[in-house]
Amino acid sequence: MTGLFSQVAFVVGRESMEALLVVGILNAWLGHHADREAAAAGQRWLLLGVAAGLAGSVLLAGALLGFSSLLEGEREDWFQIAAAAVAALLIVQMAVWMQAHGPGLKRELERGAAQALGDRNWWGLFLLAAIAVMREGSETVVFLYGILAAAGPVHPAVSLAAATTGLACAGLLYWLLQLGARRMAWAVFFRATQALLLALGAALLMTALDRAIGLDLVPALSPPLWDTSRLLDDGGGVGGLLAALAGYRARPELMPVLVYAAYWAAVAWLLGSGRRRRPAGADLP
Amino acid sequence: MPVSMRLAAILLGAVLAVPARAGEDPVFVIEFADGAITPQAVEVPAGRPFKLELRNTGASPVEFESLELRKEKVLGPGVTSFIVIRRLAPGEYRFFDDFHPGSAPALLIAREDASP
Repeated sequence: MTGLFSQVAFVVGRESMEALLVVGILNAWLGHHADREAAAAGQRWLLLGVAAGLAGSVLLAGALLGFSSLLEGEREDWFQIAAAAVAALLIVQMAVWMQAHGPGLKRELERGAAQALGDRNWWGLFLLAAIAVMREGSETVVFLYGILAAAGPVHPAVSLAAATTGLACAGLLYWLLQLGARRMAWAVFFRATQALLLALGAALLMTALDRAIGLDLVPALSPPLWDTSRLLDDGGGVGGLLAALAGYRARPELMPVLVYAAYWAAVAWLLGSGRRRRPAGADLP
Repeated sequence: MPVSMRLAAILLGAVLAVPARAGEDPVFVIEFADGAITPQAVEVPAGRPFKLELRNTGASPVEFESLELRKEKVLGPGVTSFIVIRRLAPGEYRFFDDFHPGSAPALLIAREDASP
């Protein structure tokens, strides 16, 4: 019984971590927005995205449970490729956008340029929150539905309590992010959460690539180049966490290595060019 | 025979051949029941497509998951579904029931076909 309780709590906590991380970081960033009105609008869009993601989760879960043949066979892979790739792109775009505008915000406000900044990225926020919630949310719904519908050895109330415990554990991460945004030096907090979010983007990209290789859309280019599964297994534990949050693979072929390197090169270039552009007008002596 | 008729015959042959070929893909059944996976080791052909039929016969939901196979699939209780694997290099591939953490992983063993 305790075993089942911790199993339910663990699975729910793990599945909701990714979404809470994305939403938590975006919310913290928006909270720092100098323009209160724009921040509130952004947070509303974020919340709408979460709501849409939850609704989508239930619909998707229905498809996964076999109420419709929408996601039968390979269609699920196609869906995952699209969702993960779009989410990865949106994460990079969000990080670059914040980098370009975040630190110089107060000055831009004074120049009256805040409005243009204000309503530019709301659809991105909405979509990213919705996808982040829906991707893992649908699996959580299937899981909970199964646990509750089965009415196995455990009372549904106990299962619900276990699920709530798991959600609360993941929620702790969300709360820590909000606390960190207020208590830590903004530059430090921004850098740290930006790195976390970009690592998650890399993980999403690797997920999309894996599915694409699995469908034979993209060649793997080589047999596994190395095998670090003895050192750090990507199937569970710390290695599994690194796989989910940073795209770690224990036995990568050439294509995943190239794509992973290209991702970080592109990110470095985009962030670097954003940094070079900004001081050009403002900080000249 | 005029060229157009020959082309038509080839096209017709191709159309007829497609479902026949898809039907030829071998199917392997894997059963999940509340954290137990049977069989624990499945031997599959390397270098050609095959289907894995996943059956959840337990009372709880399961998730077929394998980074090495690049596949994951959630199954509610009593649900049967399938995944297609296009091609595997010879070797061993582990897969898990990710909704039952701590339960033993099972193994997909890809071998070159003995008969050509």
